[in-house]
Amino acid sequence: MTKTMTGLATAVAAVAVLAGGALAQTDTIRIGVIKPITGPLAFDGNNSVNGAKLAVDEINAKGGVLGKKLELVVEDGQCKPADSVTAAEKLMVRDKVPVVMGAFCSGATLAVMPVAERNKVPLITGVSSSPKLTEAKQSWFFRNAESELMTAQAFAAILYEKMGLKNIYYLAVNDDWGRGTVGAFKETFEKIGAKTMSIEYVDRTANDFYTPLTKIRAANPDVVIVVAETQAGSIITKQARELGLKSKIFGVGAWATPTFMNLAGDAANGVFAGVVYASTATGDANKMFVDNFKKVFNTDPGKYSAGGYTTINVIAQAIARAGAAEPDKIREALTKTDVQAPNGRIKFDSHHQAYGWELVLVELKDKVPHIRATGVAKSPYD
Amino acid sequence: MSSQRLPLLALLAAAIALPLVFRGEYFMHLMIMVLFYTVLASSLNIVTGYIGQLSLGHAAFFGIGCYAAAMLTLDAGWSVWTAMIIAGLAAAVAGFVIGYITLRLDGHYFVLITLAFAEVLRLVVINWEEVTRGPLGFPNIPRPSIVLGGEVMVDFSSKTHFYYVALVLVVITLWAKHRFVYSAMGRASVAIRENPRLAQSVGIDPFYYSMVAFVLGAFFAGLSGWFYAHYISYVGPDVYGFGFMVTMLIMIAVGGRGTIVGPVIGAAIITIVVEELRFAREIRLSLFGLLLMLSILFFPRGLVSVPDLLRRRGWWPGAGKTGTA
Amino acid sequence: MLDVALQFLVNGLVTGSFYALMALGLAMIFGLMEVVNFAHGEFFVMGGVVAYAFCNVLGVDFYLTIVIVVALMFAFGAATDYLLIRPLRGQHLLSTALVTIGLSIFLINTMLLTFGTSPQGLDAPFSRKPIIIGEIVITEGRLFAIVVGAVAIVATHILIQKTRLGRAMRATFQQKEAAALVGVNVERVYTLTFALGTAMAAIAGVLLGAVFVIHPSTAELATLKAFVVVILGGMTNLPGAVAGGLLLGVVESLWGGFVSTGYMDVIGFALVIFILLFRPYGLFAPRPGR
Repeated sequence: MTKTMTGLATAVAAVAVLAGGALAQTDTIRIGVIKPITGPLAFDGNNSVNGAKLAVDEINAKGGVLGKKLELVVEDGQCKPADSVTAAEKLMVRDKVPVVMGAFCSGATLAVMPVAERNKVPLITGVSSSPKLTEAKQSWFFRNAESELMTAQAFAAILYEKMGLKNIYYLAVNDDWGRGTVGAFKETFEKIGAKTMSIEYVDRTANDFYTPLTKIRAANPDVVIVVAETQAGSIITKQARELGLKSKIFGVGAWATPTFMNLAGDAANGVFAGVVYASTATGDANKMFVDNFKKVFNTDPGKYSAGGYTTINVIAQAIARAGAAEPDKIREALTKTDVQAPNGRIKFDSHHQAYGWELVLVELKDKVPHIRATGVAKSPYD
Repeated sequence: MSSQRLPLLALLAAAIALPLVFRGEYFMHLMIMVLFYTVLASSLNIVTGYIGQLSLGHAAFFGIGCYAAAMLTLDAGWSVWTAMIIAGLAAAVAGFVIGYITLRLDGHYFVLITLAFAEVLRLVVINWEEVTRGPLGFPNIPRPSIVLGGEVMVDFSSKTHFYYVALVLVVITLWAKHRFVYSAMGRASVAIRENPRLAQSVGIDPFYYSMVAFVLGAFFAGLSGWFYAHYISYVGPDVYGFGFMVTMLIMIAVGGRGTIVGPVIGAAIITIVVEELRFAREIRLSLFGLLLMLSILFFPRGLVSVPDLLRRRGWWPGAGKTGTA
Repeated sequence: MLDVALQFLVNGLVTGSFYALMALGLAMIFGLMEVVNFAHGEFFVMGGVVAYAFCNVLGVDFYLTIVIVVALMFAFGAATDYLLIRPLRGQHLLSTALVTIGLSIFLINTMLLTFGTSPQGLDAPFSRKPIIIGEIVITEGRLFAIVVGAVAIVATHILIQKTRLGRAMRATFQQKEAAALVGVNVERVYTLTFALGTAMAAIAGVLLGAVFVIHPSTAELATLKAFVVVILGGMTNLPGAVAGGLLLGVVESLWGGFVSTGYMDVIGFALVIFILLFRPYGLFAPRPGR
């Protein structure tokens, strides 16, 4: 009988914990973060969180914002729509954070957007790239990342006009990002006159790409646009060299990171990549970011770390400008964002799409991304 | 059977009163997820719990419900309530077709062929962009609303509205399941589960009864898909994936398969445990895996069997008899 | 056209060797023991992770690493059977299926924590320089994968056909009660079979690290593919599992090459459906099996 009572008490306690709000904390300003912390995308998710942590540490070392320290509340959304929604409900309703960064994958972000809308909490992504997200004018959602269309518009012209690459083949991971990016490049390329030879879609977790690469080798395009993350991208690069593919390779994704270049090894030499961030970019803001990041994490930062870092800086500046850590004021302040990020000067347009990064075209050589061309990301709407 | 009816009625009364007592939106969200998973897990339980077949294709019926709801309301402009009926029926039709093909096989072969169907469907949904919108799926699925005489009576802006719809779905599902289980047909199903050859020899056609159970399970999976689509407001190909399949299997096994309250307990426990484990951060899922293994090893018949186990040791009031459903 | 087709064929055989190794292990666990093992892909990845610990971190010789991995994973498989599967022997399929689901969730996330979330390559002593035979390209690592696959398969065959353990296994899985009557320790045979299946998956994992990269996210697809191949091969038919693995590798490669890479993974599942409907005992069985 006592066991029953204990069990009952535990159950009641559990429900009470779930039902009740968290303890009010007035000494810090809490920022919610939804990222894939477990599961197949945990690598990139954790990189993004690391960038955010560095930004918070830097800001706190300088005394915080409005006299208060910043604190991250990181929740795992696993890039799954339903789990990300639950994480958002927890952050916005129970923890009552005034602003949330997330949810990494475009699908998960699409699912969280209505939750932000309903709870009237600003939601900022530093990663999700589907053009669909900002197609309509947004009220509570902001995108501090390049959309797939912006990437395509920045690089297609350089590849076609400056490098003279006319016959294009695509090799992309079979998910929303892979398909969206191919769509955006195809549209942009065809407008300026380049020819699409064919498209191959592959599973994100596959290991062997000899079959699509054999096809591509037989077609012999001027360039293969490869849309893939670290794992698939590095294997594709290696296997393309093994097979003796003569076409140029242009990678979209986090290709200018140390992990990528270590995994691909010598095969990465001569590979081009279009990135929103390269640790070798010039400028004081970037130098400071890279130095500090190296000190804490013992490696060079990549695209996702830079994204997390910049997004927290955008949020911190907005809170300072708002004068209070309140959702509606932060939202208002976010529209006036003007932040010097490691990779450009960031502002939001009328659709809450950020612009102003220096997008860089790099050539990988001996584990260093050499910058070959730069362009500034323009707003696709204004 | 009456041993299950009383606690169920008590639970229902508590469930109806719940939003009046607790008002937190986050809490409501979790309770809605519990109810949603109750419908989903119960629908699988009709197949796996009562006819004893381990179907790994059940997520496909859930997915069909989700996509039917999304496509009918967004692409065809139908009302959310019409979409509900069609979502359930579409899944049931798919259940009929797949069941007709697969239920001839048993044991291992059935496990694999149902899995194969679900995977084929998932891959088609990812690749057939023109119809399914590919991997990005359908955002902005509209909320339902109840309109009477040209006036919007309930606009579903509050979680409480969704909560009561989910509760109604749970009641319908459990009621239908109850009717099925305690009908001549349901008893026949259990006979099939326990001993298919004997069942056949007394004139029970295992195929026919299994079909009924399979189609019924698919129908309710489709309904839960409809609810998910409109509540979360976004569906993508992950609804066909292994993640949902594993979740519902875990729920019926942890709660107790082949019982009516089992999936209810499983849905509640798993949803709350996963949420309470958030404190564990990165090791959250490792812990969850560990708990799952322990639960199956120590309570192979699910948590519904705990009172029986305790009773046998005299730790719980009541006779030491075990009752099964 | 022909040279491209030949290249596809060779590509398919390499992938097929992985499938064959995975399926051989699963045919023992799933086919013979009737355990729906959802952790098979995790055993596979674990082989790679353990190899990484020895080969890259501790600097052990690559070939010695393979031996260590096989021994450790054999022991791990035996322990898994003893602790998790044996208590549930004779229960519904769902019970063992769920225990392995729990194990897979535990293993995959624990590996992400300890091994890290970044993919890693194995320090294997193979040159990445391609070997070109006519128009066909292959690498040392890939050739090695095919060779190890072949060796493992032949060794299994000998083990089952020629050794005492093999005889005990055949007796147990044909007629459990009779085997027990003639003095076979049935429980021990079960445990050893599970351990053997686990070690087989782990070898595939080491090869994965040597030829491609090790990353926990590959586990799920690997599990599904292994199930597909076991069905193609005819469930309890071990040589069938090998043939099924090679066949699936080649068919996928040709389909991806000439039809569509996006639909490449559909082939296996579509084959499963057709085979179960028209030839439920697999492609290679002359008559219904057990």
